[in-house]
Amino acid sequence: MTQPIHVGMADLVVSKHPATLVTLGLGSCIGLVIYDQASKTAGMVHIMLPDSREAKNLPKPGKFADTAVPLLLEELAKLGVNKSQLRAKMAGGAQMFSMPGKADSAIFGVGSRNVEATTKLLAASGIRLVASDTGGSKGRSVEFSTETMKFIVKTLGTGTKEL
Amino acid sequence: MDNNSKLTNLHMDAIREVGNIGTGNAATALSRLLGRTVDMDVPVAEFVPIYDVAAHYGSPETYVCAVLVRTEEEFSCSLIFMIEEEKAAILADLIIPMDISGMDEETRLQIRDSALSEQGNIILGAFLNALSQITGWVLPTTTPAVARDMLGSIMDLVASMFGVIGESAMLVKTSLHIKGLDDELGGTVIMIPDPGSLEALLSKLGVL
Repeated sequence: MTQPIHVGMADLVVSKHPATLVTLGLGSCIGLVIYDQASKTAGMVHIMLPDSREAKNLPKPGKFADTAVPLLLEELAKLGVNKSQLRAKMAGGAQMFSMPGKADSAIFGVGSRNVEATTKLLAASGIRLVASDTGGSKGRSVEFSTETMKFIVKTLGTGTKEL
Repeated sequence: MDNNSKLTNLHMDAIREVGNIGTGNAATALSRLLGRTVDMDVPVAEFVPIYDVAAHYGSPETYVCAVLVRTEEEFSCSLIFMIEEEKAAILADLIIPMDISGMDEETRLQIRDSALSEQGNIILGAFLNALSQITGWVLPTTTPAVARDMLGSIMDLVASMFGVIGESAMLVKTSLHIKGLDDELGGTVIMIPDPGSLEALLSKLGVL
């Protein structure tokens, strides 16, 4: 296996084969992978928030779903992928703390809004979301390898899923 | 107030002092609850880039237990009491008046969560009481919420809260150390004023 590349908060990484992309400790954030199986090219972005419209400035486009998805597609296009072949997998968007009566508040509901925004953006860009593991109340660590195109999702206590 | 350029040393000192008085009261409350000496470190008030909030406290996959309460009326702020998971079990057991080792895993977790939630509530409630006395604000707290998970996942809450308006988070952090036990036992109290509410606090303290 290749040395894993860590995709930190709001980071965006694209790579040709061979590459292993990793994000540790996702809570309300989203780990989104878009890949092209034929050319073995993939990119991962660590999305923190759904919507950039409230932001005053935008030093890291990977931070918001509405800026991250287009940028990821753009960076993949630079590596020569065929857009119609692109597929997406995602994980994250949990709600770590549950507070009675505040599930939908701006603070506590950010995970589900991240999932919703990312799903919509993928659909609008014509990218098929082939697998996802989102929501709930547990944090996730994710790993994607261009060798297998599998998205490994680890959760404390309940083990590992392969998407 | 989303960057540190507008804050002077005087402001930071005032915020640190709030942390000092708050955690002092929290340490006293915990000490009374446990019947043990509780020491505290000097509080640190600082701006942390939102992308580094988790790394600031440790490795993103560290298994921790966190108790969160919020106050949202005159002053909006979150308070987190965080402790490593294995130490959380020891802390919980200090106030559980029976031997739970023979019970099944699920029941043990529930009893421990309940104990930790109460301990967190007492610690963080004491912090807010002190803040209430300094400011004259009425600061009712929410019911405590407990999460046990990876540090990185838990700190997403803080990062996303501040991420909406800027690039850095204002945090006040202090460690508590419980004495007289075989193992070093301690947790961290983190005060996270909501973005924008810092001005209100500084103004109330007479330094803005």
